[in-house]
Amino acid sequence: MSKSYFDETHCAIGHPKSTFMQWMLTIDHKRIGLMYAAVMFTFFFVAVSTAFLMRLELLAPGSQYIDGDTFNQAFTLHGVIMIFLFIIPGVPAVLGNIVMPLMIGAKDVSFPRLNWFTFWLYITGTIVALASLFTDAGFADTGWTFYAPYSINTSTNVIFTLVAAFILGMASILTGLNFLVTIHRLRAPGMTFWKMPLFVWGIYATAWIQLLATPVVGITLVLAIMEKYFGIGIFDPAKGGDPVLFEHLFWIYSHPAVYLMILPAFGIMSEIIPVFSRREIFGYRAIALSSASIAGIGYLVWGHHLYTSGMADTAKVIFSFLTFFVAIPTGIKFYDWVATMYKGKIILSTPMLWALGTIITFTIGGLTGVTIAMIGVDIHLQDTYYTVAHFHYAMLGGVVFLFFAGLHYWFPLVSGKMYNETQAKIAFYLQFVGFNLLWFPMFIAGYYGMPRRYFDYLPEFQIYHQVSFVGAVIFITGLTYMFVVFFKGWRSGEPSGTNPWNATTLEWHMPSSPPPLENHSKVPYVDFNPYEYHHGEPVVKFDYETMKRID
Amino acid sequence: MATKTIDYKKERAGYYKILVGLLLLTAVTFIQPGLFMQESTFLAQMLIAVVKGWMILMFYMHLKGESLIIWMTGFSLFIVFTFFAIVVGIDVQKFQYKDESHITPKYVPVKAAEHGSEAHSTHSKAVEHDSAAHSTH
Amino acid sequence: MSHEYVPEIAVDREGNEHEVQGWQDDFYGGKLGFWLFMFTEVLMFGAMFMVLAYYNTLHPQDFLDASASLNRLLGGTNTVILLVSALTMGLGLLKMRVGDVKGAKLMIVATIILATAFLVIKGFEWNAEYKHGVFLLHDKLLVGTPDSLPFGQKLFFGMYFTMTGLHGFHIMIGIGLMIWLLKRINAGKVSQDHHILFWNIALYWDIVHLIWVFVFPYYYMIGADGIQMSDFSMIFGGATNGH
Repeated sequence: MSKSYFDETHCAIGHPKSTFMQWMLTIDHKRIGLMYAAVMFTFFFVAVSTAFLMRLELLAPGSQYIDGDTFNQAFTLHGVIMIFLFIIPGVPAVLGNIVMPLMIGAKDVSFPRLNWFTFWLYITGTIVALASLFTDAGFADTGWTFYAPYSINTSTNVIFTLVAAFILGMASILTGLNFLVTIHRLRAPGMTFWKMPLFVWGIYATAWIQLLATPVVGITLVLAIMEKYFGIGIFDPAKGGDPVLFEHLFWIYSHPAVYLMILPAFGIMSEIIPVFSRREIFGYRAIALSSASIAGIGYLVWGHHLYTSGMADTAKVIFSFLTFFVAIPTGIKFYDWVATMYKGKIILSTPMLWALGTIITFTIGGLTGVTIAMIGVDIHLQDTYYTVAHFHYAMLGGVVFLFFAGLHYWFPLVSGKMYNETQAKIAFYLQFVGFNLLWFPMFIAGYYGMPRRYFDYLPEFQIYHQVSFVGAVIFITGLTYMFVVFFKGWRSGEPSGTNPWNATTLEWHMPSSPPPLENHSKVPYVDFNPYEYHHGEPVVKFDYETMKRID
Repeated sequence: MATKTIDYKKERAGYYKILVGLLLLTAVTFIQPGLFMQESTFLAQMLIAVVKGWMILMFYMHLKGESLIIWMTGFSLFIVFTFFAIVVGIDVQKFQYKDESHITPKYVPVKAAEHGSEAHSTHSKAVEHDSAAHSTH
Repeated sequence: MSHEYVPEIAVDREGNEHEVQGWQDDFYGGKLGFWLFMFTEVLMFGAMFMVLAYYNTLHPQDFLDASASLNRLLGGTNTVILLVSALTMGLGLLKMRVGDVKGAKLMIVATIILATAFLVIKGFEWNAEYKHGVFLLHDKLLVGTPDSLPFGQKLFFGMYFTMTGLHGFHIMIGIGLMIWLLKRINAGKVSQDHHILFWNIALYWDIVHLIWVFVFPYYYMIGADGIQMSDFSMIFGGATNGH
């Protein structure tokens, strides 16, 4: 393919001359991924600030800085931004876009113009979501779960958030669609499914969930809008409607959504562990199939969010059983990762530190999830701080930690430079310590009965909130410091070369770092497994002009 | 882009044949309530709809020659929907607060109504207390 | 495309050549992508059918009563219209695949006309229902008005307007897509050798038809009592059966 041809086609509309417009109209997956990252992390910090405001307010019982209604809006804002604007686009939008096509030897995704459109759809969604902050009625105060009948009756601006979530859902669906067709069609010749890197497997399983679960929440939001503004009656008991139906429909998506969040993150873990243990991954097929089974079984467990809503006991038992069942593939992955590290030469670089830290925090998050999968226990712990701690350990300590691990791991690939290793390690330890101080006391507080989304509380719970606050300060310091380290690395870090970690997967065999617009100079023929190491050294070597194997 | 040689006349005839089939089935849809399976009109209608839908999928949408991945996705969708239907069905059937709920109908047996198939009236009695049984977590 | 896409060749260690599938000119990929998108549409309408089925089990008689009051003549006419439009769209695609561009464009125009007729008839239907006091946020569907319908009927009509409304919205999108398709054909971008867009829009139209194949019997036919002469006397206005 001639360079001029690619230059001519790498914008969605026309051939702009200015660099700014070239970025605004770019269809190149790497640039789109970077733009997603910039926007997403900006909103991430907005949501972190909202959380900090809540922690500050909860430092003592009673009202200090904000009133109860504002507090409700604060946790709704935090949830909506974190879930819909940050973690659901999350790893697929950033690392999936940038790295996945490189890993399979493709020149771009299957539908690059759709990718461009999807990015701007995402931006539209974010604008709509946050526009309601500036209206009179104010941001929604229903919690990010929008339960009927409160969301139907509240006077705050729920419709902005409902429409925004719908638009963002569309963006998620289209991303999933794009990745599915890409992985099916654009793998390099010779790369069968069983030769794909495990990150691609993770993105693949995630894409199925994005495609087939999000429409349900899409239509639920539409039905909620119809109920609130056109009174169709399906969630309104005054017309015979059933609010629990809303819960069912909502969680039929939102439970698979959490698997959508964790599967790419597990894919990142599967990439990092072999590289920093200098060994082939243990149980490649088991990990690949467990991603698929988590995606599949994850569709069947949503009822565990509704244990206290008046469901029939038989249904509760079915959901509880299936929820226990879905923990098994995750367990398989963890055992395989630990087995990979066994007798490997462990290198404790920052990505590996993050991965190891996640093994600890996600184990806690996962196991506490299994605790509340028990019906009897959940009756007591539902909607307490125990649940809050559980999902933060799983989402923040699982998904986001691994996201950070991936950012550190692929930083040299994307920027061509290295960050300062010592400073990055300090940022990790600050965040790890702060995280555990922030969230672990909440397990205990929840066990003793501290309810969630509560603005005020009994004095006996104050000690937990105080410890959490200290943890929050340390955590946010580490978080900010980590991004400072990234910025400094980008601006003035050491050049990293094309394969600083001496890894085996295709994205590290680029002719230059950062990669050229056209990705690999030539598409290689793949007749090797993704993690072939011999005595700690990669087996497969390439000549980067012709992309032929020279080992 | 290699196009297989298309037998125009054969394909066009295929389209028309399916059209006739679909029109016939539409006619059956209309006469069924007066003719057969009157006790289970719903089932009859849905069966006819499934047959029509299958014909459209296979021939108009060319699913017949389509790749395995599309069939597998369709099949998984079907399995998931069936699971939803079964579990929500179980939940509805075994709903333990039926008597206290505001929205479930309170059956009052009346004389056989004009429509024949149902012998119950489902006009809900005005229930003064609200839906205490549902906790909206 | 101004440049014809030339696929790259990858060479393996034995020297065999393998053609690399690029993202450009991927007919199969375009089809796969669109089929996946259609599954999302099926999910959305499927979820609405589940909501409908749920309330149906709670209020079986109300649903039969409400269904009986819908206008089967107009609904049936729309069914036939949509059916024929699926044919015209399919024939248009066939003509394009054998190179008959003029015939293909004619078929698209025919489909647009039929689709518009569908929307017009639906408009009449909704108008008649409105006149009978059955409409969103209106008279019989409100709580506390003297004519307020029982729970099951309210829910039936709430979902009726939602689903037929969304379906009509998809028809409007379809008309827009077909107009755009005509423009792309005129610009030479869609032709016998590059007709994936036409294929996908025909698939879209088929799925819109497929949804109606299920919407129609569920709403209009479950309460039917066999065709009666009174069905034929309602053509315009006064369009609810038995009222």
